[in-house]
Amino acid sequence: MSEKRMVDKNGMRGGAGISAVLLLAGFVFQWEWMVPVIAVALAIGSLFGLRYSPLGAAYRSLKRTFKLNIPVEPEEEPPPRFAQTLGFVVGGLASLLFIPGWNAAGWTLALLVAGLQGLLATTGLCVGCEIYLYTQRLRAHGAELR
Amino acid sequence: MIVRLVVAAAVAAVTVALALAWRRREGRFAEGSGRFDAVDLGLTKRDRPGALLVEFFGEDCAPCVTVQDRIHKISDEVPDVRIVSIDAGARMDIADKHEVRRVPTLFVLDEDLRVRWRASGVPSEDAIRTALMGPDWAGRPHPGAVSREHVSR
Repeated sequence: MSEKRMVDKNGMRGGAGISAVLLLAGFVFQWEWMVPVIAVALAIGSLFGLRYSPLGAAYRSLKRTFKLNIPVEPEEEPPPRFAQTLGFVVGGLASLLFIPGWNAAGWTLALLVAGLQGLLATTGLCVGCEIYLYTQRLRAHGAELR
Repeated sequence: MIVRLVVAAAVAAVTVALALAWRRREGRFAEGSGRFDAVDLGLTKRDRPGALLVEFFGEDCAPCVTVQDRIHKISDEVPDVRIVSIDAGARMDIADKHEVRRVPTLFVLDEDLRVRWRASGVPSEDAIRTALMGPDWAGRPHPGAVSREHVSR
C-alpha cells in the first residue's frame, strides 16, 4: 500500500504570503532578479516536493522565531505541488521576458503570480489546486467514457 | 516609484477584495435545487428520516473534519435528522450529478430528498441549524427557527 505524502496547508499559505510580499517589493523597487528567485523557489517545491520548498522553510523559520501558534493542517500534496508548478512556469516565463527588456510584460505576469499567491495566503483559496482537481475530474470522466 | 507603489497597492487591494468576497461566500447556505437518489444515499423506501444532511468530504481534508464535528453535534440535538457522508473522490459520479466542485460541501435535504440548501466550505453551527429548522419546509416548527431570508443573505 502506497503512503500518501501530506503537506501543511498553513505552511503553503505562509509560503505564498512570503512570495507575494517579495514579488510586490521586487516590483516597487524594480528588483527584476526577485522574479527568477521566486520562480526557482517554486521550482524546487515542484520538482523535489513541498517539504524542500525554500518558501515553506522560510515560513517555518518565521513561525519558530516569532513562536506563532499556527496549527498544522495536513492535506494531500499533489494539488499544491501542481499549483507550485504553475507558479514556476508563469514566474519562469516572466523571468525570460526580462531578458529582451520586455519588463512590462514580465512584471504583469509576476504580479499575477503575486496576486494569486496573496489570495492563497489570505483565504486558503489555491487556484492552481482547483485547476488540478478539475483536470483530475476531467481525466476520470475520460476514463469512464473509454 | 509612485506609479509602481500605486500599481502594487492596486494588486494588493484587488487581492484583499477577492479575499473578502471569498470569505463572504465561504460556508454560506444558498437555496439548492434537484433531488438526491435514495440509492446513492444508501436509503431504502422505508428508510426516510425527516431531514438529511449530505456531506461531501475529501480524504485528509481538514475543514471537512470541522464540518463533520458540527453536523454530528447538531444531529444529536435535532430529532429525526440523518447524516450521509460521501467521499467525493471515490464517488465522483454523485459529486458531479450535484455539481460538487469542492469539499466540504453540505446539502440539506427534506424528507423527499429534495435539496433545500447547499453550502461549500465550513458553515457555522448556527447556519446549519437554521438551514435544518427553517419553518417553511421542514414542517417541524422549532422555537429557534427563522425565515429563509436569514440563511440566504
